Amino acid sequence: MADSPEAIKKSIKLYVFIGAFLFFGTIMTYLVATVPALDFGKHGFDTADMVLGLSIATIKASLVAMIFMHLNHEKSMIYWLFGAGLFFGVAMAALIFLTDGDPLHYSGFDKGVYIKGNPVHQTVNP
Amino acid sequence: MEIPYIVTPRKDTGLFNSKIAIWLFLASEVMLFGGFFSAYVYLRLGAQEDYPWPERALPIIPGLINTFVLIFSSMTVVFAWASLKLRKWRSFQVCMSITIACAGIFMALKSIEYWVKFHHQALRLMDYSVVEGHAGQLLKAGVKEGEKEDDYVHDRKGNRIDVNTINFETEEITFNTVRENYSDWLKEMLHEASEAKATISLAAPVKVGLASDPDHAQVIFNTGEMLTQAVIDKIHKAQLDAGAFNAALRTADSREQWAKAIENHKGQKDYQFAETVGADTASIDAKKHIENQTVTFKVHPAVEFHFESHDTKATATDATLRDGTTLKGKLVESPVEFHAVDALDFRHTVMKAKEKGIDPEVAIKNSWLIKSNPEIAEVWEKHEKAVHQLEDQFEKEGKGREPTPKDRYRINWEEMAYLMQTPLDKVQIVPAEWACPVIHDKTLVEQFKGPDYKVRHTQFPHLEVPREHVLFASKFTPSWNTFYAIYFTMTGLHGLHVIGGALVLGYYLFFGRKMYLSNPEWLANRVEIGGLFWHFVDLVWIFLFPILYLM
Repeated sequence: MADSPEAIKKSIKLYVFIGAFLFFGTIMTYLVATVPALDFGKHGFDTADMVLGLSIATIKASLVAMIFMHLNHEKSMIYWLFGAGLFFGVAMAALIFLTDGDPLHYSGFDKGVYIKGNPVHQTVNP
Repeated sequence: MEIPYIVTPRKDTGLFNSKIAIWLFLASEVMLFGGFFSAYVYLRLGAQEDYPWPERALPIIPGLINTFVLIFSSMTVVFAWASLKLRKWRSFQVCMSITIACAGIFMALKSIEYWVKFHHQALRLMDYSVVEGHAGQLLKAGVKEGEKEDDYVHDRKGNRIDVNTINFETEEITFNTVRENYSDWLKEMLHEASEAKATISLAAPVKVGLASDPDHAQVIFNTGEMLTQAVIDKIHKAQLDAGAFNAALRTADSREQWAKAIENHKGQKDYQFAETVGADTASIDAKKHIENQTVTFKVHPAVEFHFESHDTKATATDATLRDGTTLKGKLVESPVEFHAVDALDFRHTVMKAKEKGIDPEVAIKNSWLIKSNPEIAEVWEKHEKAVHQLEDQFEKEGKGREPTPKDRYRINWEEMAYLMQTPLDKVQIVPAEWACPVIHDKTLVEQFKGPDYKVRHTQFPHLEVPREHVLFASKFTPSWNTFYAIYFTMTGLHGLHVIGGALVLGYYLFFGRKMYLSNPEWLANRVEIGGLFWHFVDLVWIFLFPILYLM
């Protein structure tokens, strides 16, 4: 069991190592973003920089989740719960981006005239 | 009753209950922050066609230090949990104290970042050029004893006025008597009036009583009564009483009319005769009380009041404050004065020019900033030389690179300081850095707070922008642009999570001893749960830092 005193003593070394790696990853993220010699792709911020920066961030986040949050040796129920949260998060993001392909079309917004006294208020094109 | 499965795992899940609960909660937090990250991506991608997204707008060093601090605190919180599992109380105390201290450092740095932004002024002019810097009204004629001529105007609390203000010479003030939020403005107005040796007094008597017989109404204040908070409060109360009385009259009359109508239309549904129900206005008018919904005061002689630009809308002769108070008088020149312009940005001007098919360089040369301000024009000429040098550098490298719009059309504060100190013929970029030389005397404090204007007052141009050229003025707040709106939303929400997490961990540190002595495994489990939340907070920052600070 990962939580026995012996296992925990071993884990402390791993935590220190992972922590040092996280520091290193942070420094790399900073250098990749600021040092001209490490500016891949076009000058300035472009897709290459975004992919590189987010890749380093994803690796760091995965290490925090796997090691510090003990996800590398958890019970399956936890994986289901976390996975469900991730799934619905991604689904929600996808729905947000899909709205770009389904914009509202109504030609009357800038021409609509409000008709007073109508029992059903409506805007019409003049 | 004992709470079950706080230590012993359940047979079906294999876990103690609070672990499942915290992961459920973290799943919901993933949704919460996932929504905001999606919003950020969506806003950024959507902005590209009509608004230059501010890239690398934030100082990196504070964000970088905060990242290190949070990663370190993630380590110490897991060490704290391990200490409890190994039954080392002292070690737990030390590690948990360091974790909470790291949270404090994080919030302190964040607070400094926010404070600096809230005191930094930005203007978007009518031609979409952007000026950033530090606003402040220089003292003009009438320097008081003890003040130097190049000092700044201070308000009555002694704070330098660094907001941009609308100056309105006021002859008449009309208050809305239904509202009651006057105290701060009233104090300011009364103070400024007394400084100017002016009086603010009632223009007409305020009466209470029957509206149908005003001659016999009770006068609660006569013409000439001096404005005080107590006078406004009494008029406000009288208005509320009269309003409530008249409303009760109308309600009673309405009930009476409906009762009669129902009696006269027996057998019919109410909507069938609703249109026939009216009000006995003659009866109401005979009984209703005088309502003083506004009250007017004369200012004699006229006094120049100063209002923050977001508090007022003004024309040449009228001004309306945010709470509905109206002023009559004269709009005085109300320029936005920068005692230090530390950034210029023409990217939006260029975008608009390209939409209209105008050459960007021509658009910039014809902008008010360049045409009307020789100091700014000189800085821009030096910047253009630096951009040409950058183009030559990229051409020499032969990799097909070229300056970005940010390189071409924005001057940040370090470049401004360099260009102001360097003659045109000596301007030279550092080829390997693709930028102007770094300001070597930049202090660590300046990494956080931006330029020290006192030390660098010759390194930034002064600028006075007439009000008619201002399209939008703001400090660096959520209202300035979409980027700052999402930045403050996400980092603010994250900061609240840091505070919440620190409070929970602090509870375990300061009140956990008793539980440790009675049931140490339970405390260890609770600290593990708190630690999971803390790691999640760190995880969110691991993404926030590069997205907001580096991209």
